[in-house]
This record gives sequence, structure tokens and C-alpha cells, in this order.
Amino acid sequence: MRKWLAALLAAVSASVLAQETIKIGVITDRVGVSKPYSEPATEGVIFGVDEINRKGGVLGRRIELLIEDDQSRPDISAALARKLIDQGVVFIMSVSLSPATQQQQTVTMEAKTPQMTPMNSADYLTTQLDNPYFWQTGPLGSVQIATLLAHARTKNFRKVAVITDNSDLGQAIAKAFKGTLEKAGIQVVADEVIARGATTAMPQMQKIRAAQPEAIFLAGVLTAENVLIFRAYRELGVKFPIHSSYNLSVPIYETVAKGLVNGVTFVDAYDPEKAEVKAFEAAYKKATGKDPQNLHGYGYDGINLIADAIRRAGSTDKEKIRAAMQETDYAGVMGAKGMRYRFPAGKRVGFDPNGMVVRVYEKDKQGRVLHVGAK
Amino acid sequence: MQDFLELAVSATASGCIYGLMALAYLLMIRPTGIINFAVGEWAMVAAFGGHLLLSRWEWPYAAGMAVVILFMAILGSTTERMTVRPLVERGAPLLAPILALLGVLVVTREVISVSFPPDPMPVPFPFDIGRLELGPIGGSYQSFFIITVTALVFIGAWLFFEKTLWGKSFEAVALNRRAAALMGINLSRVTTLSFAGGAAVAGLAGLLVSPNVSAHYLMGVPLAIQGFTALVIGGVGRVEGAILGGLVLAFAEQLTSRYAPIPSGFAQGVPLVFLMIFLLVRPTGLLKVRA
Repeated sequence: MRKWLAALLAAVSASVLAQETIKIGVITDRVGVSKPYSEPATEGVIFGVDEINRKGGVLGRRIELLIEDDQSRPDISAALARKLIDQGVVFIMSVSLSPATQQQQTVTMEAKTPQMTPMNSADYLTTQLDNPYFWQTGPLGSVQIATLLAHARTKNFRKVAVITDNSDLGQAIAKAFKGTLEKAGIQVVADEVIARGATTAMPQMQKIRAAQPEAIFLAGVLTAENVLIFRAYRELGVKFPIHSSYNLSVPIYETVAKGLVNGVTFVDAYDPEKAEVKAFEAAYKKATGKDPQNLHGYGYDGINLIADAIRRAGSTDKEKIRAAMQETDYAGVMGAKGMRYRFPAGKRVGFDPNGMVVRVYEKDKQGRVLHVGAK
Repeated sequence: MQDFLELAVSATASGCIYGLMALAYLLMIRPTGIINFAVGEWAMVAAFGGHLLLSRWEWPYAAGMAVVILFMAILGSTTERMTVRPLVERGAPLLAPILALLGVLVVTREVISVSFPPDPMPVPFPFDIGRLELGPIGGSYQSFFIITVTALVFIGAWLFFEKTLWGKSFEAVALNRRAAALMGINLSRVTTLSFAGGAAVAGLAGLLVSPNVSAHYLMGVPLAIQGFTALVIGGVGRVEGAILGGLVLAFAEQLTSRYAPIPSGFAQGVPLVFLMIFLLVRPTGLLKVRA
């Protein structure tokens, strides 16, 4: 009898302890193709949670993260979303690839559990499924292209070249580039592809040089192949400017393409001169001893958006959190100066279409902002 | 013309890399009949070795290169001891070591992918970034470095097989294993050495290509395919076939990308078309084995 009582007591106290934290699920990618993006974002989430908990948590309770790894595979990700919901999470944050995030929505929609992605860029995430429990706060692919081209329009180009690699995403971005360029009346005089695993980009760059464009639009997303492109560009001594997709916003180019990227402009959602960014970078460095990247900022903003919604909901009731999330009005680390995350009525995309910036590489570092917005 | 000569230098350099990969296959396939697709991963291991020694620890280039090549030779012979010899000694069919080596491919790649960050890692150039002009021919320092080193390796390999007793014993094993064994040639020593040599040459290719493409864990398979295609084009019979196959492949690739009036995406199919044509029409490759 005494044994029974002790067991009952233990069970009760365990459940009380469990109720003390607010559980938030994170689905990330630790070994798959998205690892270079997902890992820094997850580090940003963990840093954000530590900061929130140090300041007393949310609604007087600590946040507890439950982190799962779906390898960016849609066939695994839905099961992990189910597992997290069974473990009692009140919100799921998705930081692996868009198709995996999409698959998780089938579960969160059915289980009426709030879910958000702070960094996925696929335009279809909020349009294909009418899931009122899902939000996307990273910049959309279409916004990235519109911002880069808005900057290009200020240069009055008449003919340009497009170069990319043969990955799915590289092909998709190149297609979007070409469509938008041609719509703007800009002629694409060379359209080149570098194969994954190539040892040089010399023939493609020669062909571009022969076509005499006024600028090159770089749509490639494979780092090693992009480095080949920069190398051929320098070796042939061509001078027309390179405008690059957001892939160049990943800071690895500062080391792996040293001496090759200066003057390259690229689209980003991060302005190092912004007050919020300076505060974030200082706090992150103090806590971890490392300098954060823009990718850390996505995760950090994501967890803060969730905490903000729970705070305003005043409860961990999923329905109340859903309603509060939809009313978000929050300034974070990502986005141009003054940008606030907001969800227009009926929409669940929170990144301002004019919130992206175009930056330039200077002295092998990601440098200043040259252009803001998509207009 | 300027364009063409510039492209010729870059195609020759790429062809040398493919040729070295083909030579790595050839060194192992001649005496043993085993095709080892893990050569691509070996090139990757050497590229990461280059990153560690030359970039992270900033060793002098020659010393770093020598240590990496030596390490690769040891890795190659160890792999042979652990995965090939036990199977051969127990009389397993030829397919067994080939499959075991595919296992080595996967294990090698995964070990590297969990040991290093996911991003491509820089490997420095031996002579900085720069351009050398020799009359009308111009190209990067690295292109000329690749061409020179590859030429030395192939001359060395040719002399070894044609002029030394050791090389002749390799040839003898290739021609007839049983007869060679009866003549007192130590078969297992020849096999171990062929794997050590294959790994060293693949490692050299990885080290030479890595300043251009960086060291990353997915770089092995494309190199393995390019080397295999070069091998099929050149033929497995002779050392010269490997470099010839590599050059033919690289020139075909780069000339079509540059001059053929087809969309850039299709130009990448050229190597595969070559592979199919050679397998259909001339499966022994361009160079035949001497009688």
C-alpha cells in the first residue's frame, strides 16, 4: 500500500513538474541537404530560448524545447510532428526544407496545433493548404527575386546573362530570374548551366563573355560550383557586375571564395546596421563566444515570435495562441530597418514584401546595404 | 583563337584530373580485375587532408602534399587488407570485393560528413591565384601545376611498367594470375601495392582539384564517374589510355559547352553519350592491350 502511494505521489509530482514548462517542438535537419541552413537556425532558436528563460520565461513558465531531426525528408517529418504533439508541444517550429514543412502541415492542421517556419522560402506553403494553424515568416522566393531585380532596374540593364547549376533549386531560381527579367523587357543573351561536380566553369564564362552582357545574374545554390563560377570570372578578367540570389548570403563564401567575391551584390534579409541586429549580435557573442550569422537570426526571430504570441494569448490554449499569432505585430532581427512582422487579414505570410535588402561583398566580408525593398 | 587556346589549357587541366582518376582505377583493375568505385571518396579524403594540413594547420605545401599522399597509400593498402584480401582468400567471386568496396565508399563518405562541418572547406593553392602567359597560351597557375604534376606521374607510371622488374611483375599478374604465381610472383604483395598506388593517385587527383572546387563531402561521386568514363574511353589495357581518355572526355565536355549551339543543360549529357558510344562500339577503349 505504501509502495502504491509512493508511486502515485511520484506520478502526480512528475505531472506537476511537467506542467511547469511550456513545450515547443522544433523539427530541424541535422544530417540532410539542408543541414548548412538548419543547424545555425536551430542554434539561434536555442540561444533565443535561453535568453527568454533567463528573463523569467513566458507566463511565468520556462520554455522547454523538444528538437527532432527529419533529415529534410517529407516521409519522416509528418510522423515527427505527430510525436511532438503527443509529447504535449503547444507550437511546432519547422526549420528543415519546405517540402518537409509542407508534409508536417497535414498533421498540425488535423491536430489543430500551431506551426510556423521562420525561414522556408517556398511560395506554396500557405497557398496550397488552407491551414489556419500555420504561418511563414521568412522571405518568400518571389520576394527575393523581386528585390534583386528592383535593384537591377535602377541600373537600366538592357541585356544580361543568367548562370546557374543543375540542382532543382538552382534551376527553379534561374527560371524565375529569366521570367521576371524578360517581363521587364531585359534581354537574356546567355543562359548557362554548371553541372554538379564540374571541375571548371571556364567554357560557360567564355560564352558569357562572348555574348557581352551588361551584368550576370547568378542563380546557383551549390557553393562549390558557385566558387568555380567566381574563379572563371576572375581568371578571364571580365568586368560586368554579378547580381546573386540569396545563396550568397550564407557566410561560408567569406572563407571558401576568399579574394573572389568582392563587388558581388546579393539579396539578403539582414542589415548589420540595424539596432536590433547589433543588440542580437552582441548578446549572442557574449553568451556563446561566437559571431552569429544571418541564419541564426531566423531561428531567433522564430522563437521570439512564438513567445510573443503565447504571451499575448495569456494561456497555452492552442486556439488562443492561434488567434494571438494571427494578430502579430513584431520587430525582429531579420528584415530591413523598421520592418515589422505582420499577417495581413486572411494571410499567413509575415515577412514584408519590401523587407529585403541588397548587400555587397567588400574586403571578403558581407558588407553594406545598397538597396531596400522590391520597388 | 585566343578563346580556344585559353579553353585548351583549362580542358587539359580538367582532363589531367580525369586521367589521374582513370589511372587510379587502372592500377587496381589491371592486376586484380577489381573495379573500385571508392576512388572518388579517396580523392575526397585527400582533399580534406589538404584542408587540414595546408589550410587549417598551414603546413608548407610540399610537406603537406607528401604526407597526404603517403597517408592515402597506407589507407589504400589497409583497405585491401581488410576488405579485399579476406574475400579473395576464401575464394569469393569477383563481385564480392567490388560490392565490399562500394560499402567502403559509403562508410568513407559518412565518416567525413560527420567529422567536418557541412559547408565546403577551403584548400589553398600552391602558387596563389594568378595567371601565366606562355606566348599565346594563357591559364591559371593551378592549371599549369596540375598539367605538370600529372605529366610527371604518367611518365613515372609508364617507366615503372615498361622498364622495371616490379612493373613487369604487375603486367604478368594482369596477363595470367596463375602463371605469374607459378613463376614465383607474390600475388598478395602485388595486390596490396596496386591498392596503395591507386589510392595515392586518386588522392593526388583530389588534392590537385580541391583548390578549385573546395573540399566537400559530396565531391567523390562525380570524380569517380568522370574517371570511370575516361577509363572506358581510353581502355584499361595501358597506362597511356587513362590520360588519353581523360583528355578526350574533358575536351569533348568543354568544347561542346563553349561552341555547340545547344542549350547549356544538354551539354552535360555529352560525357554520358560518349560513355554509351564507347561501350557499344569499342568496349576495349581507344588503346588496345599489346600482345
